[in-house]
Amino acid sequence: MSRRKRGAAPGSERFADAPLDGSLLEVTDVKTQFKTPRGLVHAVDGVSFSLERGKTIGIVGESGCGKSVLSRSIMGLLPRNAVRHGSVTFEGREIGKSTGNSMRQYWGTQMAMVFQDPMTSLNPVMRIGNQIMESLRFHFDVTKDYAEETALALLNSVGIPEAERRLREYPHQLSGGMRQRVMIAIALACGPKLLFADEPTTALDVTVQAQILDLLQEQQRERFMAMVLVTHDLGVVAGRTDDIAVMYAGRVVERAPTRSLFEQTRHPYTEALLKSIPKLGQPSHSKLDAIAGRPPDLVKPPRGCKFAARCPYAQPKCITDEPELVDAETPGHAFRCFFPVGSQAGAEALARNLSAGETATGLPVRKEGEAVLTGVTV
Amino acid sequence: MAGTGTAHLRPPGETILRVEDLVVEFPAGRSGLKVHAVSNISLDVKEGETLGLVGESGCGKSTTGKAIMQLPPPKSGQVLFEGHDMAKLSGEEQRRTRTAMKMIFQDPISSLNPRRKVEDIIAEGLRIWKVGTPQEQQKKIDDMMLAVGLDPVLQRGRRPHQFSGGQCQRISIARAVITEPKLIICDEPVSALDVSVQAQILNLLEEMKTRYGLTLIFIAHDLAVVKNVSDRVVVMYLGKICEVGSPDVIYQQPSHPYTRVLLDAIPIPDPSIRPEARAKVIGEIPSPVAPPSGCRFRTRCPKAQSKCADEEPKIKEIHSGQFVACHFPLAPGETLPTRNGSGPLAS
Repeated sequence: MSRRKRGAAPGSERFADAPLDGSLLEVTDVKTQFKTPRGLVHAVDGVSFSLERGKTIGIVGESGCGKSVLSRSIMGLLPRNAVRHGSVTFEGREIGKSTGNSMRQYWGTQMAMVFQDPMTSLNPVMRIGNQIMESLRFHFDVTKDYAEETALALLNSVGIPEAERRLREYPHQLSGGMRQRVMIAIALACGPKLLFADEPTTALDVTVQAQILDLLQEQQRERFMAMVLVTHDLGVVAGRTDDIAVMYAGRVVERAPTRSLFEQTRHPYTEALLKSIPKLGQPSHSKLDAIAGRPPDLVKPPRGCKFAARCPYAQPKCITDEPELVDAETPGHAFRCFFPVGSQAGAEALARNLSAGETATGLPVRKEGEAVLTGVTV
Repeated sequence: MAGTGTAHLRPPGETILRVEDLVVEFPAGRSGLKVHAVSNISLDVKEGETLGLVGESGCGKSTTGKAIMQLPPPKSGQVLFEGHDMAKLSGEEQRRTRTAMKMIFQDPISSLNPRRKVEDIIAEGLRIWKVGTPQEQQKKIDDMMLAVGLDPVLQRGRRPHQFSGGQCQRISIARAVITEPKLIICDEPVSALDVSVQAQILNLLEEMKTRYGLTLIFIAHDLAVVKNVSDRVVVMYLGKICEVGSPDVIYQQPSHPYTRVLLDAIPIPDPSIRPEARAKVIGEIPSPVAPPSGCRFRTRCPKAQSKCADEEPKIKEIHSGQFVACHFPLAPGETLPTRNGSGPLAS
């Protein structure tokens, strides 16, 4: 679809020679730290992955595991106190060091982001239409009428009824779901090749969540766009992504094709996340397998495996040594654990902990491998 | 749906709380129009039971919870708590009765006063009602902090910003339970939390319920969460009741189309279940200022007929213990149109 009316914009010409084969995004050993009064926060600690055109990767983990910081690091949307290391290549170009002005040519036209809270991400004193047209008019040399036409078409394509009227409305006149649709329209306005969706449905109802996820998937397929879907809910990414990376304490602890991750879960953290979701199939009042405790303090991360303190499989080795990311049998599946789920070593480790009643880190465990919630969780 | 009626209520002697024909309306600006937040809702709760109230934002589930507490008093309808009509009690009597009813709110951080210490937040109920000596109060606070998984020695002097969302929700639970109430209304207590923390809080609520013999009204928009904690589920839509029944029955055999839609909207952590093959969510919840005539769900219901616009369905028992307000309830095994367009009905 051609949006340019009076010749191509200077911004887009720069990408005319971009190679069409190879991966769209290559992230290698990205580390992001924040300087704070308490010390350096290691928010993202050596993450690597690649993403091909038209594919979706899900990034999953609890609050504070670095998943949002990772996507902002790739986009170059970090505050001043952040320090970035490692390499990010987009269509073969290194953008890992770029910030602000030099990233502007990428924002909107090459990559865009849909944020979690649509109310605080939209400008409350600017009409919906103008917010959509803003990036169109910035990147492309188009007339106002043409931009307005495009904005109208975009609102229709994201499923907003009475789009013509909505163009002149303000964000507060829209429901939460409609606002998120507007956010998506803004992100799609300049036809990005890569879309980051950072917890796009966390603030929404289940029914609206289903609609928004369907919309994202539909737009992604139609536009052959790559997508990074960040969420804390494994239910959201199942059936909607090609690959999933599970993050914990700033690191990828397991990375796999979606089916493989669910069917051959290797990392105890992934297993624990899956178990903590209430299942419709369970009878009511089933006790949920919560993950005891909280993620570690990223100012002083523990020495060995970062998950050891909450892991029912933990052994003395996990406290002293940190496991490397190793490949599983399935191609593309890798995990970071000495005693993986579903392996001989893992089964033995769990059996040892069960008979001792606690893990090497002192976490009490009982039958079924479920970590017991003790009185104090600090 | 959008049904009215009291067919699903149990004999008054068996219940601790009985709500009949509750109506809550708010003025909509200066236009003279009204927001019909809750329209003729009836429900009841047995002692020791957990009643789950489920529905989308704007369906009136939180308003129902607040109206039970008389915050603000409903426009009409009766709230009978242990046989006392809440609206007829004098201010002082109402204040005393309310000590037996507590609320836990959705946003754990904004529902705690940021300038107060955790122990003072938890102790407030005890201090207002002058329960025991200061030493006894302190002991109770420490015990309660331990019970909800907080360390009294280390954490009693801290303020809310020093805690995570999950821990703040633990403080809210401690504050609600410390005056030994009979009924706790939990208004979306886990919606703002991560799945892992959500599981901790749900387990804690179950534990507290058993330990202190509590009765709960659990309000949430996620049917999977509600199903996990409830003994009886009420599905609400736009100020009306759609379906009432035990959670396992409602899950296995939903008879209201809206219940089916809600169930199919829940993300399932299983990649072999394709989202496209599940029931489609049509449109958005209409404005409660001018709700649709007849059945209020008809504008989004794939099964709607002209009868649904003319006549409001009454709540009726469809199977033993399962009540539905629908002219055309789903037969067992009946499916709705899916998101990729296939299905028995055109949408």
